[in-house]
Amino acid sequence: MFKSLFSALVLVLMFSSSVFAQDAGDRLLGVWEPSNGKARVKIEKIGSKYFGKIVWLKEPEDPETGKPKVDKNNADPALQNAPLKGYRLLKDFVYKGEDEWTEGTIYDPENGSTYSSTIKMTDENTLDIRGYIGISAFGRTDVWKRLQIPKKK
Amino acid sequence: MSKELRVLLGILILLVPFCVAQPQDSTIVEEEEDYSMYDNLDFVAEGTKRFCTSKVLGLSPQKLISLGYDFQGGADLSTDVNNSLFNNESARIEYSHGLRLQGNIPVLSRNSIIIQANINYAEQNYVALKNDENTVGTNLFERSFLNYGLRTAGIGTTIFKPLDEENYLLFQVSGDNNGDYGWNALPDLANTRLSAAAIWGKKVSDRKMWGWGLSRTYRAGDLNYIPVFLLNWTSANSKWGAEMLLPARAQLRRSFNSRNLLLIGYELEGQTYRIDSRNQGVSNLELRRSELRFRLAYERSISGFIWLSFQAGFRYNYSFNIDDLPNNRDFFRGFFGDQPYFMENTLSNTFYSMVSINLVSP
Repeated sequence: MFKSLFSALVLVLMFSSSVFAQDAGDRLLGVWEPSNGKARVKIEKIGSKYFGKIVWLKEPEDPETGKPKVDKNNADPALQNAPLKGYRLLKDFVYKGEDEWTEGTIYDPENGSTYSSTIKMTDENTLDIRGYIGISAFGRTDVWKRLQIPKKK
Repeated sequence: MSKELRVLLGILILLVPFCVAQPQDSTIVEEEEDYSMYDNLDFVAEGTKRFCTSKVLGLSPQKLISLGYDFQGGADLSTDVNNSLFNNESARIEYSHGLRLQGNIPVLSRNSIIIQANINYAEQNYVALKNDENTVGTNLFERSFLNYGLRTAGIGTTIFKPLDEENYLLFQVSGDNNGDYGWNALPDLANTRLSAAAIWGKKVSDRKMWGWGLSRTYRAGDLNYIPVFLLNWTSANSKWGAEMLLPARAQLRRSFNSRNLLLIGYELEGQTYRIDSRNQGVSNLELRRSELRFRLAYERSISGFIWLSFQAGFRYNYSFNIDDLPNNRDFFRGFFGDQPYFMENTLSNTFYSMVSINLVSP
Protein backbone atom coordinates (compact mmCIF):
# COMPACT_ATOMS: atom_id res chain seq x y z
CA MET A 1 0.00 0.00 0.00
CA PHE A 2 2.79 2.37 0.92
CA LYS A 3 4.46 1.59 -2.39
CA SER A 4 1.30 2.53 -4.31
CA LEU A 5 0.82 5.73 -2.33
CA PHE A 6 4.46 6.65 -2.93
CA SER A 7 3.95 6.13 -6.67
CA ALA A 8 0.85 8.29 -6.58
CA LEU A 9 2.75 11.02 -4.73
CA VAL A 10 5.56 10.96 -7.28
CA LEU A 11 3.05 11.28 -10.10
CA VAL A 12 1.30 14.17 -8.37
CA LEU A 13 4.59 15.96 -7.86
CA MET A 14 5.57 15.41 -11.50
CA PHE A 15 2.31 16.80 -12.81
CA SER A 16 2.12 19.64 -10.33
CA SER A 17 5.67 20.83 -11.12
CA SER A 18 4.72 20.80 -14.80
CA VAL A 19 1.58 22.75 -14.03
CA PHE A 20 3.50 25.32 -11.98
CA ALA A 21 5.99 25.78 -14.85
CA GLN A 22 3.09 26.33 -17.19
CA ASP A 23 1.59 28.82 -14.77
CA ALA A 24 4.79 30.84 -14.82
CA GLY A 25 4.61 30.91 -18.60
CA ASP A 26 0.98 31.91 -18.46
CA ARG A 27 1.98 35.36 -17.29
CA LEU A 28 2.29 36.04 -21.00
CA LEU A 29 -1.47 35.69 -21.44
CA GLY A 30 -3.41 38.90 -21.95
CA VAL A 31 -3.83 41.76 -24.38
CA TRP A 32 -0.74 43.69 -25.47
CA GLU A 33 -0.03 46.70 -27.62
CA PRO A 34 3.04 46.99 -29.88
CA SER A 35 5.04 50.20 -29.75
CA ASN A 36 3.48 51.75 -32.82
CA GLY A 37 0.00 51.57 -31.27
CA LYS A 38 -1.45 50.33 -34.54
CA ALA A 39 -2.75 47.02 -33.24
CA ARG A 40 -3.61 45.08 -30.11
CA VAL A 41 -2.68 41.46 -29.76
CA LYS A 42 -4.28 38.90 -27.48
CA ILE A 43 -1.89 36.19 -26.41
CA GLU A 44 -3.51 32.82 -25.73
CA LYS A 45 -2.33 29.37 -24.91
CA ILE A 46 -3.03 26.45 -27.20
CA GLY A 47 -1.77 23.17 -25.85
CA SER A 48 1.54 24.00 -24.24
CA LYS A 49 2.40 26.80 -26.66
CA TYR A 50 1.55 30.48 -26.83
CA PHE A 51 -0.04 32.27 -29.76
CA GLY A 52 -1.07 35.86 -30.34
CA LYS A 53 -3.85 37.13 -32.55
CA ILE A 54 -4.79 40.64 -33.63
CA VAL A 55 -7.94 41.77 -31.83
CA TRP A 56 -7.91 45.48 -32.61
CA LEU A 57 -6.59 47.68 -35.38
CA LYS A 58 -6.17 51.43 -35.18
CA GLU A 59 -7.00 51.60 -38.89
CA PRO A 60 -9.35 48.62 -39.38
CA GLU A 61 -10.26 49.42 -42.97
CA ASP A 62 -8.05 49.37 -46.03
CA PRO A 63 -7.91 52.99 -47.31
CA GLU A 64 -7.83 51.69 -50.87
CA THR A 65 -10.89 49.45 -50.73
CA GLY A 66 -12.79 50.85 -47.75
CA LYS A 67 -13.26 47.26 -46.57
CA PRO A 68 -11.83 45.53 -43.49
CA LYS A 69 -8.11 44.96 -43.87
CA VAL A 70 -7.00 41.58 -45.14
CA ASP A 71 -3.60 39.93 -45.28
CA LYS A 72 -2.96 41.10 -48.85
CA ASN A 73 0.85 40.95 -48.56
CA ASN A 74 0.91 37.26 -47.72
CA ALA A 75 2.99 35.26 -50.18
CA ASP A 76 0.39 32.48 -50.00
CA PRO A 77 -2.51 33.51 -52.28
CA ALA A 78 -4.87 31.37 -50.22
CA LEU A 79 -4.32 33.66 -47.23
CA GLN A 80 -4.45 37.00 -49.02
CA ASN A 81 -8.14 37.45 -48.28
CA ALA A 82 -7.87 36.43 -44.64
CA PRO A 83 -9.07 39.24 -42.37
CA LEU A 84 -6.30 40.77 -40.28
CA LYS A 85 -8.54 41.05 -37.27
CA GLY A 86 -8.30 37.64 -35.68
CA TYR A 87 -5.08 36.80 -37.52
CA ARG A 88 -2.49 34.87 -35.52
CA LEU A 89 0.78 36.67 -35.96
CA LEU A 90 2.59 35.15 -32.96
CA LYS A 91 2.98 31.40 -33.11
CA ASP A 92 4.46 28.45 -31.30
CA PHE A 93 6.16 30.18 -28.38
CA VAL A 94 7.36 27.88 -25.63
CA TYR A 95 8.13 29.06 -22.12
CA LYS A 96 11.69 28.16 -21.31
CA GLY A 97 11.89 29.81 -17.89
CA GLU A 98 13.51 33.00 -16.61
CA ASP A 99 10.78 35.16 -18.17
CA GLU A 100 11.61 34.08 -21.70
CA TRP A 101 9.53 32.44 -24.42
CA THR A 102 11.37 31.02 -27.41
CA GLU A 103 11.03 28.89 -30.55
CA GLY A 104 8.26 31.13 -31.89
CA THR A 105 7.66 33.14 -35.01
CA ILE A 106 6.23 36.58 -35.61
CA TYR A 107 4.48 37.62 -38.80
CA ASP A 108 4.56 41.17 -40.14
CA PRO A 109 1.40 41.79 -42.19
CA GLU A 110 2.91 44.99 -43.56
CA ASN A 111 5.38 43.07 -45.70
CA GLY A 112 4.13 39.49 -45.53
CA SER A 113 7.30 38.23 -43.84
CA THR A 114 7.64 35.77 -40.99
CA TYR A 115 10.59 36.04 -38.62
CA SER A 116 12.06 33.86 -35.92
CA SER A 117 11.15 35.40 -32.61
CA THR A 118 11.78 35.40 -28.88
CA ILE A 119 9.84 37.13 -26.12
CA LYS A 120 11.40 38.47 -22.94
CA MET A 121 9.21 39.80 -20.15
CA THR A 122 11.14 42.69 -18.65
CA ASP A 123 8.43 43.37 -16.09
CA GLU A 124 4.87 42.14 -15.57
CA ASN A 125 3.51 44.66 -18.05
CA THR A 126 6.31 44.91 -20.61
CA LEU A 127 7.52 42.53 -23.30
CA ASP A 128 10.59 42.77 -25.49
CA ILE A 129 9.61 40.98 -28.67
CA ARG A 130 12.53 40.35 -30.99
CA GLY A 131 12.08 39.31 -34.60
CA TYR A 132 15.18 38.23 -36.46
CA ILE A 133 16.54 36.52 -39.53
CA GLY A 134 18.73 33.51 -38.92
CA ILE A 135 20.74 34.87 -36.03
CA SER A 136 19.46 37.21 -33.38
CA ALA A 137 21.91 39.97 -34.38
CA PHE A 138 19.99 40.54 -37.60
CA GLY A 139 16.78 41.65 -36.00
CA ARG A 140 14.66 44.25 -34.34
CA THR A 141 13.19 44.44 -30.88
CA ASP A 142 9.81 45.95 -30.24
CA VAL A 143 8.47 46.74 -26.80
CA TRP A 144 4.88 45.72 -26.12
CA LYS A 145 2.82 46.98 -23.21
CA ARG A 146 0.05 45.16 -21.35
CA LEU A 147 -3.48 46.49 -21.63
CA GLN A 148 -6.45 46.19 -19.33
CA ILE A 149 -10.08 47.23 -19.10
CA PRO A 150 -10.12 50.83 -17.83
CA LYS A 151 -10.55 51.18 -14.12
CA LYS A 152 -13.73 52.92 -13.07
CA LYS A 153 -13.00 56.44 -11.85
CA MET B 1 -10.32 -1.63 -7.19
CA SER B 2 -8.08 -0.99 -4.23
CA LYS B 3 -8.36 2.22 -2.28
CA GLU B 4 -4.88 3.32 -3.39
CA LEU B 5 -5.72 2.86 -7.03
CA ARG B 6 -8.96 4.81 -6.62
CA VAL B 7 -6.96 7.66 -5.03
CA LEU B 8 -4.46 7.57 -7.90
CA LEU B 9 -7.25 7.52 -10.49
CA GLY B 10 -8.96 10.44 -8.79
CA ILE B 11 -5.76 12.48 -8.86
CA LEU B 12 -5.20 11.72 -12.52
CA ILE B 13 -8.78 12.70 -13.40
CA LEU B 14 -8.24 16.01 -11.62
CA LEU B 15 -5.12 16.62 -13.68
CA VAL B 16 -6.70 15.75 -17.00
CA PRO B 17 -7.80 19.34 -17.80
CA PHE B 18 -4.17 20.44 -17.55
CA CYS B 19 -2.88 17.68 -19.75
CA VAL B 20 -5.31 17.04 -22.58
CA ALA B 21 -4.68 18.50 -25.98
CA GLN B 22 -6.33 21.85 -26.56
CA PRO B 23 -7.58 23.40 -29.82
CA GLN B 24 -5.13 23.10 -32.67
CA ASP B 25 -3.29 26.05 -34.14
CA SER B 26 -4.33 27.74 -37.33
CA THR B 27 -3.29 31.06 -38.73
CA ILE B 28 -6.84 32.24 -39.20
CA VAL B 29 -8.92 32.15 -36.05
CA GLU B 30 -12.27 30.67 -36.90
CA GLU B 31 -14.23 31.21 -33.72
CA GLU B 32 -16.49 34.21 -33.45
CA GLU B 33 -15.35 36.77 -30.94
CA ASP B 34 -16.72 40.15 -30.03
CA TYR B 35 -13.73 42.28 -30.85
CA SER B 36 -15.46 45.47 -29.70
CA MET B 37 -14.44 44.53 -26.16
CA TYR B 38 -10.87 45.48 -27.08
CA ASP B 39 -11.77 48.97 -28.28
CA ASN B 40 -11.43 50.71 -24.95
CA LEU B 41 -8.40 49.45 -23.10
CA ASP B 42 -5.80 51.27 -21.04
CA PHE B 43 -2.17 50.51 -20.35
CA VAL B 44 -1.74 48.68 -17.07
CA ALA B 45 1.41 50.63 -16.31
CA GLU B 46 0.75 54.31 -15.86
CA GLY B 47 2.80 56.80 -17.81
CA THR B 48 3.43 54.45 -20.75
CA LYS B 49 4.43 56.47 -23.79
CA ARG B 50 3.96 55.62 -27.45
CA PHE B 51 6.65 56.40 -29.99
CA CYS B 52 6.65 56.68 -33.74
CA THR B 53 8.75 54.18 -35.67
CA SER B 54 11.25 54.79 -38.44
CA LYS B 55 9.36 52.55 -40.83
CA VAL B 56 7.12 53.81 -43.59
CA LEU B 57 4.77 51.36 -45.29
CA GLY B 58 5.91 50.18 -48.68
CA LEU B 59 9.41 51.64 -48.50
CA SER B 60 12.14 49.77 -50.39
CA PRO B 61 13.70 47.38 -47.88
CA GLN B 62 16.61 48.51 -45.78
CA LYS B 63 19.73 46.51 -46.53
CA LEU B 64 21.41 44.86 -43.57
CA ILE B 65 24.22 43.48 -45.70
CA SER B 66 24.84 44.35 -49.31
CA LEU B 67 27.47 43.01 -51.67
CA GLY B 68 27.58 44.69 -55.05
CA TYR B 69 29.57 45.15 -58.21
CA ASP B 70 29.72 48.49 -59.97
CA PHE B 71 30.70 48.98 -63.60
CA GLN B 72 31.25 52.24 -65.47
CA GLY B 73 31.79 52.57 -69.19
CA GLY B 74 34.67 54.27 -70.98
CA ALA B 75 35.53 57.90 -70.32
CA ASP B 76 38.15 60.49 -71.22
CA LEU B 77 40.19 62.08 -68.49
CA SER B 78 42.14 65.27 -69.02
CA THR B 79 44.07 67.31 -66.52
CA ASP B 80 44.49 71.06 -66.45
CA VAL B 81 47.39 71.73 -64.15
CA ASN B 82 47.71 74.93 -62.14
CA ASN B 83 51.27 74.25 -60.99
CA SER B 84 54.74 73.60 -62.31
CA LEU B 85 55.05 70.06 -61.00
CA PHE B 86 52.96 68.29 -63.60
CA ASN B 87 52.10 68.60 -67.25
CA ASN B 88 48.66 68.74 -68.74
CA GLU B 89 47.76 65.28 -69.95
CA SER B 90 44.90 63.13 -71.04
CA ALA B 91 44.06 59.46 -70.81
CA ARG B 92 41.37 57.20 -72.13
CA ILE B 93 39.78 55.00 -69.49
CA GLU B 94 38.43 51.86 -71.09
CA TYR B 95 36.16 51.14 -68.16
CA SER B 96 36.16 51.24 -64.38
CA HIS B 97 34.69 48.81 -61.94
CA GLY B 98 34.76 47.69 -58.34
CA LEU B 99 33.18 45.82 -55.47
CA ARG B 100 30.95 47.45 -52.92
CA LEU B 101 30.19 46.11 -49.48
CA GLN B 102 27.82 47.65 -46.98
CA GLY B 103 26.61 46.59 -43.57
CA ASN B 104 23.93 48.23 -41.47
CA ILE B 105 23.71 46.21 -38.29
CA PRO B 106 21.21 47.04 -35.55
CA VAL B 107 23.06 47.47 -32.27
CA LEU B 108 20.18 48.62 -30.12
CA SER B 109 16.60 48.43 -31.29
CA ARG B 110 14.05 49.73 -28.82
CA ASN B 111 10.85 51.74 -29.04
CA SER B 112 12.60 54.76 -27.61
CA ILE B 113 15.79 54.56 -29.66
CA ILE B 114 17.33 52.66 -32.54
CA ILE B 115 21.10 52.58 -32.93
CA GLN B 116 22.66 51.07 -35.99
CA ALA B 117 26.31 50.43 -36.83
CA ASN B 118 27.25 51.07 -40.43
CA ILE B 119 30.28 49.85 -42.34
CA ASN B 120 31.09 50.35 -45.97
CA TYR B 121 33.80 49.51 -48.44
CA ALA B 122 33.90 50.50 -52.09
CA GLU B 123 36.56 50.44 -54.74
CA GLN B 124 36.83 51.88 -58.21
CA ASN B 125 39.51 50.34 -60.41
CA TYR B 126 40.32 52.16 -63.62
CA VAL B 127 41.37 50.22 -66.67
CA ALA B 128 43.19 52.33 -69.25
CA LEU B 129 43.64 51.33 -72.86
CA LYS B 130 46.66 49.08 -72.94
CA ASN B 131 47.26 48.96 -76.64
CA ASP B 132 48.45 52.52 -76.90
CA GLU B 133 50.95 53.54 -74.28
CA ASN B 134 50.61 57.18 -75.25
CA THR B 135 47.06 57.24 -74.07
CA VAL B 136 47.94 56.03 -70.60
CA GLY B 137 48.57 58.85 -68.17
CA THR B 138 52.19 59.40 -67.29
CA ASN B 139 52.06 62.04 -64.64
CA LEU B 140 52.18 61.01 -61.03
CA PHE B 141 48.52 61.62 -60.38
CA GLU B 142 47.15 59.72 -63.33
CA ARG B 143 49.66 56.92 -62.92
CA SER B 144 48.69 56.59 -59.31
CA PHE B 145 45.00 56.12 -59.63
CA LEU B 146 45.08 54.38 -63.00
CA ASN B 147 47.42 51.83 -61.48
CA TYR B 148 45.93 51.54 -58.04
CA GLY B 149 42.34 52.73 -58.25
CA LEU B 150 40.41 54.42 -55.49
CA ARG B 151 39.12 52.95 -52.29
CA THR B 152 36.70 53.97 -49.57
CA ALA B 153 36.39 52.32 -46.19
CA GLY B 154 34.29 53.71 -43.42
CA ILE B 155 32.40 53.07 -40.25
CA GLY B 156 29.57 55.02 -38.76
CA THR B 157 26.35 55.00 -36.86
CA THR B 158 22.75 55.96 -37.45
CA ILE B 159 20.56 56.87 -34.51
CA PHE B 160 16.80 57.22 -34.72
CA LYS B 161 15.35 58.86 -31.63
CA PRO B 162 11.55 59.18 -31.53
CA LEU B 163 10.39 61.93 -29.22
CA ASP B 164 6.72 60.94 -29.17
CA GLU B 165 4.11 59.48 -31.53
CA GLU B 166 4.90 62.07 -34.19
CA ASN B 167 8.24 63.83 -33.75
CA TYR B 168 11.65 62.27 -34.17
CA LEU B 169 15.34 63.05 -34.44
CA LEU B 170 17.74 61.31 -36.79
CA PHE B 171 21.51 61.45 -36.47
CA GLN B 172 24.11 60.00 -38.77
CA VAL B 173 27.87 60.10 -38.33
CA SER B 174 30.53 58.34 -40.35
CA GLY B 175 34.29 58.35 -40.63
CA ASP B 176 35.65 57.42 -44.04
CA ASN B 177 39.18 56.83 -45.17
CA ASN B 178 39.43 57.25 -48.90
CA GLY B 179 42.38 57.08 -51.23
CA ASP B 180 44.57 55.11 -53.59
CA TYR B 181 45.70 52.85 -50.80
CA GLY B 182 45.82 49.08 -50.83
CA TRP B 183 47.29 46.17 -48.92
CA ASN B 184 50.79 47.33 -49.88
CA ALA B 185 50.18 50.89 -48.79
CA LEU B 186 47.72 51.07 -45.95
CA PRO B 187 45.83 54.30 -45.33
CA ASP B 188 46.80 56.80 -42.69
CA LEU B 189 44.01 57.04 -40.13
CA ALA B 190 44.79 60.74 -39.76
CA ASN B 191 43.24 61.21 -43.19
CA THR B 192 39.84 59.94 -42.03
CA ARG B 193 37.10 62.35 -43.04
CA LEU B 194 34.03 62.92 -40.93
CA SER B 195 30.53 63.26 -42.35
CA ALA B 196 27.46 63.88 -40.23
CA ALA B 197 23.81 64.83 -40.42
CA ALA B 198 21.16 65.81 -37.90
CA ILE B 199 17.49 65.87 -38.82
CA TRP B 200 14.32 66.72 -36.97
CA GLY B 201 11.08 65.56 -38.50
CA LYS B 202 7.54 64.31 -38.21
CA LYS B 203 6.06 60.91 -38.87
CA VAL B 204 2.77 62.17 -40.18
CA SER B 205 1.24 58.75 -40.80
CA ASP B 206 2.24 55.17 -41.52
CA ARG B 207 2.73 56.29 -45.11
CA LYS B 208 4.55 59.55 -44.73
CA MET B 209 7.45 61.01 -42.81
CA TRP B 210 9.50 64.11 -43.46
CA GLY B 211 12.29 66.01 -41.83
CA TRP B 212 14.66 68.96 -42.09
CA GLY B 213 18.24 69.12 -41.01
CA LEU B 214 21.84 70.05 -41.60
CA SER B 215 24.70 67.95 -42.87
CA ARG B 216 28.46 68.05 -43.07
CA THR B 217 29.19 66.20 -46.26
CA TYR B 218 31.72 65.34 -48.93
CA ARG B 219 29.14 64.23 -51.48
CA ALA B 220 30.09 67.13 -53.73
CA GLY B 221 33.76 66.20 -53.38
CA ASP B 222 34.72 69.19 -51.27
CA LEU B 223 33.79 69.56 -47.65
CA ASN B 224 30.46 71.30 -47.43
CA TYR B 225 27.72 72.17 -44.95
CA ILE B 226 24.28 72.03 -46.48
CA PRO B 227 20.65 71.77 -45.37
CA VAL B 228 18.92 68.46 -46.03
CA PHE B 229 15.31 67.48 -46.52
CA LEU B 230 13.99 63.97 -45.95
CA LEU B 231 10.75 62.59 -47.34
CA ASN B 232 9.48 59.04 -47.38
CA TRP B 233 5.99 58.64 -48.76
CA THR B 234 3.75 55.85 -50.01
CA SER B 235 0.43 56.30 -51.79
CA ALA B 236 -2.83 54.95 -50.30
CA ASN B 237 -2.84 52.05 -52.77
CA SER B 238 0.83 51.30 -51.94
CA LYS B 239 1.73 51.26 -55.63
CA TRP B 240 3.60 54.54 -55.72
CA GLY B 241 6.03 56.22 -53.42
CA ALA B 242 8.91 58.63 -53.02
CA GLU B 243 12.15 58.20 -51.10
CA MET B 244 14.37 61.21 -50.86
CA LEU B 245 17.10 62.77 -48.81
CA LEU B 246 17.75 65.95 -50.74
CA PRO B 247 20.13 66.89 -52.16
CA ALA B 248 21.91 63.51 -51.81
CA ARG B 249 19.31 61.34 -53.48
CA ALA B 250 15.73 61.18 -54.68
CA GLN B 251 13.77 58.37 -56.23
CA LEU B 252 10.24 57.57 -57.19
CA ARG B 253 9.05 54.06 -56.47
CA ARG B 254 6.61 51.81 -58.26
CA SER B 255 5.77 48.73 -56.20
CA PHE B 256 4.33 45.78 -58.06
CA ASN B 257 3.93 43.97 -54.75
CA SER B 258 5.79 43.84 -51.45
CA ARG B 259 8.61 41.79 -53.02
CA ASN B 260 9.04 43.48 -56.34
CA LEU B 261 9.67 47.16 -57.09
CA LEU B 262 11.08 49.65 -59.54
CA LEU B 263 12.89 52.88 -58.63
CA ILE B 264 13.81 55.84 -60.78
CA GLY B 265 15.84 58.79 -59.59
CA TYR B 266 19.33 59.98 -58.87
CA GLU B 267 22.05 59.81 -56.25
CA LEU B 268 24.91 62.18 -55.64
CA GLU B 269 27.97 60.14 -54.68
CA GLY B 270 31.20 61.68 -53.61
CA GLN B 271 34.17 61.71 -51.31
CA THR B 272 37.57 63.31 -50.97
CA TYR B 273 40.40 60.85 -51.71
CA ARG B 274 44.00 61.01 -50.55
CA ILE B 275 45.89 60.08 -53.71
CA ASP B 276 49.49 60.71 -52.82
CA SER B 277 50.27 57.66 -50.75
CA ARG B 278 52.37 56.11 -53.53
CA ASN B 279 53.79 59.31 -55.05
CA GLN B 280 57.13 60.01 -53.50
CA GLY B 281 57.83 63.68 -53.11
CA VAL B 282 54.21 64.77 -53.49
CA SER B 283 51.93 64.84 -50.53
CA ASN B 284 48.71 66.31 -49.22
CA LEU B 285 46.87 65.89 -52.50
CA GLU B 286 43.15 65.16 -52.29
CA LEU B 287 40.95 64.20 -55.21
CA ARG B 288 37.53 65.82 -54.83
CA ARG B 289 35.49 63.20 -56.62
CA SER B 290 31.76 63.57 -57.03
CA GLU B 291 29.31 62.16 -59.53
CA LEU B 292 25.59 62.28 -60.17
CA ARG B 293 24.05 58.94 -60.98
CA PHE B 294 20.74 59.09 -62.80
CA ARG B 295 19.34 55.62 -62.60
CA LEU B 296 16.62 53.08 -63.00
CA ALA B 297 16.70 50.31 -60.40
CA TYR B 298 14.78 47.09 -60.11
CA GLU B 299 14.72 45.26 -56.79
CA ARG B 300 13.12 41.96 -55.97
CA SER B 301 13.12 39.30 -53.30
CA ILE B 302 14.60 36.08 -54.59
CA SER B 303 14.18 34.13 -51.38
CA GLY B 304 12.73 35.44 -48.16
CA PHE B 305 15.01 38.19 -46.99
CA ILE B 306 17.51 37.89 -49.82
CA TRP B 307 16.97 40.59 -52.42
CA LEU B 308 18.62 41.23 -55.74
CA SER B 309 19.06 44.76 -57.01
CA PHE B 310 19.91 45.80 -60.56
CA GLN B 311 20.49 49.39 -61.48
CA ALA B 312 21.64 51.11 -64.62
CA GLY B 313 21.91 54.68 -65.71
CA PHE B 314 24.05 57.61 -66.59
CA ARG B 315 27.05 58.77 -64.59
CA TYR B 316 27.56 62.54 -64.79
CA ASN B 317 30.88 63.81 -63.48
CA TYR B 318 30.38 66.69 -61.04
CA SER B 319 33.94 67.01 -59.75
CA PHE B 320 37.26 65.31 -60.33
CA ASN B 321 39.53 68.14 -59.21
CA ILE B 322 42.52 67.97 -56.93
CA ASP B 323 43.47 70.15 -53.97
CA ASP B 324 46.87 70.46 -52.36
CA LEU B 325 45.86 70.78 -48.71
CA PRO B 326 47.66 73.66 -47.02
CA ASN B 327 49.53 72.34 -43.96
CA ASN B 328 47.83 69.02 -44.65
CA ARG B 329 44.56 70.33 -43.25
CA ASP B 330 41.25 70.05 -45.03
CA PHE B 331 39.40 73.30 -45.58
CA PHE B 332 35.95 74.60 -46.38
CA ARG B 333 35.47 75.98 -49.88
CA GLY B 334 31.70 75.64 -50.11
CA PHE B 335 29.88 76.79 -53.19
CA PHE B 336 31.35 80.26 -53.19
CA GLY B 337 34.98 79.80 -52.10
CA ASP B 338 37.62 81.04 -54.54
CA GLN B 339 40.55 78.86 -53.50
CA PRO B 340 42.17 77.56 -56.72
CA TYR B 341 42.46 73.84 -57.33
CA PHE B 342 45.90 72.27 -57.72
CA MET B 343 44.59 70.44 -60.79
CA GLU B 344 41.31 70.89 -62.58
CA ASN B 345 40.36 67.65 -64.26
CA THR B 346 37.68 66.75 -66.71
CA LEU B 347 36.17 63.29 -66.71
CA SER B 348 33.68 62.69 -69.46
CA ASN B 349 30.29 61.21 -68.68
CA THR B 350 29.31 57.64 -69.30
CA PHE B 351 26.79 54.93 -68.53
CA TYR B 352 27.03 52.73 -65.49
CA SER B 353 25.40 49.66 -64.01
CA MET B 354 25.44 47.95 -60.66
CA VAL B 355 24.18 44.63 -59.37
CA SER B 356 23.97 43.70 -55.71
CA ILE B 357 22.73 40.92 -53.52
CA ASN B 358 21.28 41.99 -50.20
CA LEU B 359 20.10 40.68 -46.89
CA VAL B 360 17.28 43.01 -45.93
CA SER B 361 15.99 44.09 -42.56
CA PRO B 362 12.89 42.76 -40.79
